[in-house]
Amino acid sequence: MPWPANRRLIGTRVQRVDGVDKATGRAKYSYDINRPRMLHAKILRSPYAHATIKSIDTAAAEKVNGFRALYLIKKAGATVFFAGDEILAIAADTEEHCADCLREVRIEYAELPHSVKEADSLRSTTNTAGGAGANNVVAAGDYSTANFANAFDGAAATHEGEYGAAVISHQCLESHGLVAEWDDKQQNLTVWASTQAVPATAGGLQQHFKLPAGRVKCITNYMGGGFGSKFGADIQGIACAELARTARAAVKLMLDRSEEVTVGGIRPSAYGTVKVGGTKEGRVTAYEVDCYGTGGVARGPTVNFGVLPYVYGPAITNIKRRHRVTRTNIQTARAMRAPGHPQNCILTEQALDDLAARLNVNPMAMRLLNLPPNVEADAMANPRTYLGMRATIYRAEIEIIRKLCNWDQAWHPPGRGEGPIKTGMGMALHTWGGGGNGPNPTRVTINANGSVTAQSASQDLGTAQRTVMAIIVAEILGLQPSDITIVLGDSSFGPSTGSGGSTTCPGTSPAILKAAETARDAFLTALAGRLNVQANQLVIEPGVVINRGNNNQRIPWANACGMLGVPNVQGNGDWPTQQQRAQNAELRTEWQTRLSNQGVGGVQIAEVKVDTETGVVKCTRFWAVQDCGMIINKLACESQVAGGVIMGINYALYEECIFDRQTGRQVNPDMEFYKLGGIADMPRIYVHMHDMPERGVIGIGEPPTISTCAAVGNAIFNAIGVRVPHAPFTPERVLAALHARRPANP
Amino acid sequence: MNEHENIDVAPSRREFLQGTGVAVTATALSGLASAEAPAAELQPAAGGAPAGVGPTAIKITLNVNGRDMQTTIEPRVTLLDALRNYLDVTGCKRVCDRGTCGACTVMINGKVVYACTMLAIEAQGKAIRTAESLFTNGQADAVPTAFVRADAQQCGFCTPGFVVAMKAVLEGNPQATPAQVEKGLQGNICRCGTYEQMRDAIYALCNVRRGN
Repeated sequence: MPWPANRRLIGTRVQRVDGVDKATGRAKYSYDINRPRMLHAKILRSPYAHATIKSIDTAAAEKVNGFRALYLIKKAGATVFFAGDEILAIAADTEEHCADCLREVRIEYAELPHSVKEADSLRSTTNTAGGAGANNVVAAGDYSTANFANAFDGAAATHEGEYGAAVISHQCLESHGLVAEWDDKQQNLTVWASTQAVPATAGGLQQHFKLPAGRVKCITNYMGGGFGSKFGADIQGIACAELARTARAAVKLMLDRSEEVTVGGIRPSAYGTVKVGGTKEGRVTAYEVDCYGTGGVARGPTVNFGVLPYVYGPAITNIKRRHRVTRTNIQTARAMRAPGHPQNCILTEQALDDLAARLNVNPMAMRLLNLPPNVEADAMANPRTYLGMRATIYRAEIEIIRKLCNWDQAWHPPGRGEGPIKTGMGMALHTWGGGGNGPNPTRVTINANGSVTAQSASQDLGTAQRTVMAIIVAEILGLQPSDITIVLGDSSFGPSTGSGGSTTCPGTSPAILKAAETARDAFLTALAGRLNVQANQLVIEPGVVINRGNNNQRIPWANACGMLGVPNVQGNGDWPTQQQRAQNAELRTEWQTRLSNQGVGGVQIAEVKVDTETGVVKCTRFWAVQDCGMIINKLACESQVAGGVIMGINYALYEECIFDRQTGRQVNPDMEFYKLGGIADMPRIYVHMHDMPERGVIGIGEPPTISTCAAVGNAIFNAIGVRVPHAPFTPERVLAALHARRPANP
Repeated sequence: MNEHENIDVAPSRREFLQGTGVAVTATALSGLASAEAPAAELQPAAGGAPAGVGPTAIKITLNVNGRDMQTTIEPRVTLLDALRNYLDVTGCKRVCDRGTCGACTVMINGKVVYACTMLAIEAQGKAIRTAESLFTNGQADAVPTAFVRADAQQCGFCTPGFVVAMKAVLEGNPQATPAQVEKGLQGNICRCGTYEQMRDAIYALCNVRRGN
């Protein structure tokens, strides 16, 4: 089952099939669901970063007008580990009354020591974050290639520098939350949840309530952003469903903005010292990193330890790395768009440019010299695999972007330029795995009235997944994407793999193709029976079925459907199981390296203007070249890339969760002091999609946000000739870096 | 000068916060879009104090997208919450709830307002328009159509707010330049990062060819 050789729709620019509904406010997100007699719920949270709950008194709250139900999340005696930790939830008839109820709850706390700063946790002598450990430091990795002690001997130049990026928040515009409603007998639960994993959310609630399979239905018709932070039912999901059961009424519980920022997800920080050395031509011979960072109370690493240095690791002989996790009294980190990769990129790509400056080498030439080589064995076995062609991909993309941004003329050595406002250009590379998997069962139904429906349990986070389904089905059936009715985001349609790690498009597309082709074959077989011809004498062309058994008679689509003689025909499609693929090499190759694939490159270049008097950085132009295998919808792909770049510029220049050492609270859990750029803050962005249809479908969500910050950091360095160590590169930090270069007493 | 007048002449919160990032703060006070002054309906009673309503719920009528809608709310309920929670008009979204992000942007008597910064009782007797008004007789207005063509939306949660803000600029000045239209969007934030495609939509709506 290959992709069609001649593609009428796949790879073209197709408008979103749900675009008008979303742009005119008619699309109903989970936040917009209003059920009859629905109650509103809110969660009471700890104001302390670390404390023991001595007592909880809800008597007064339960007497407040409108009170309906209470759910205790923590009991007296429990410990809270961050400001925002959940204690209890209340449902009331209106949101206003619910807020009144929460104000009447009396809780006594015994405060405990806390740490909300990475540097404090690095020096900690006690453990404030819970679990094992004498202090807040977790040794998360120590690695060295053999004989590293002499690694920098003989280098033409070495550079040692500080690099890093702050804790940031996902800031999904639709906050986490849901509406929960039980049926009259309290046996079946329906939730309308804002989630990236529809079946997993239903599954989590089913497990919590110990219900038989199929009793919980999760619906997510439209979804207002997740970025990795919305998997599973979450505490608010359980609390909301518990309240709905107690109150015997539908309950809505959506986090408010302050909650969304303090508990809805953070990306871990990463700070490190990097030493790098190379030959006079610019070949990197040794890379050493000692880094730390926090994922809040989580213990997991904050970088992608195994692929540090990033991208170029396979080309560098001597590598030493050390990583410590500095646990803090902050919410547990969640996956955020390419987990670990932006951090790795920051700790690699910026050090590379600093070394290039020492060696007086052009950063683009230096990158070409250090590309990870194609792995010959992989290239021989299957030329479509990432390992077999990674250097080829990067070389092609660098050549494209070199011309697009006029690098040869526009780039100048670091720190050149007259006047107070300096212009600079910087580049960075990235990679991501992506890749599809099952189960993602899809069903395509062709109805006698000519309508076509495709259904899947998967979800559309704003990635245009509905449109992906419509494009593939329309391609196979000779229709237009707008002709196909797409139903998704419903756990009763079966399992799906969830939308994380850029896997949705590669995970679903082959299953959709299979379902569409199966439905087409069933349709043609049924029609052939009615027309008394062989099925292979019928051919679908745009809008018509051609009957080669009858003088190439052209039967319009709707007429052909009307001749079926049955209400509908269907086709199902899904991945072969893991076991089937393990046992059948051809099946594995077909699904994993032809229909879908994994592993992408990507290169980005930023142009910035830095005002050396105010420290303000303005990103003025940005170029991004990105591959993702076979492009399904070029329009949506370009949107994803530009969006990833904008997210990257945001965390390069504006975003940071700022915590107060004294109170242990975040001081900017909002959108006024947690900065996100508006339209005026964003550059002109030039996106070039490097289409490689022979590779099959690969995801596009994560890659384009990975290297943006490093590219901006390098552009700032190129502009002013000094490195600003830590993102976000705020005016204060730019000025500090500029002043540090000058002697204190000239 | 009494408090009412003072509010009337002060820059609105929307204008003040129009720039969301560092680069635009210098132009924040000269924005194109302007908000209704909040609290305009609260008439000072004898003695200077505002006339009292509440705290109990009262019946109100709001004219939403040309239709009178009645509900019973406490006076503390914002226009945004009245629309979403009491009238099931959900095109305006609640995101920051503090007059920063623009997701709740509506038009009141033709001017853009953050619905989260206004009480519902203040909106009585005024023409309230939400993004839903831009779809009539099965047809989308030119502004949402341009958004769809340019793919100027991803998750779409901020989109109705942007669409209303853009519509207000173009209704106020059908000859607006792309730069003027873009300025009218500075009070809105998109998290998915669709600004580049919004610029494509703006140029299309202004009938200006976008150069390199």
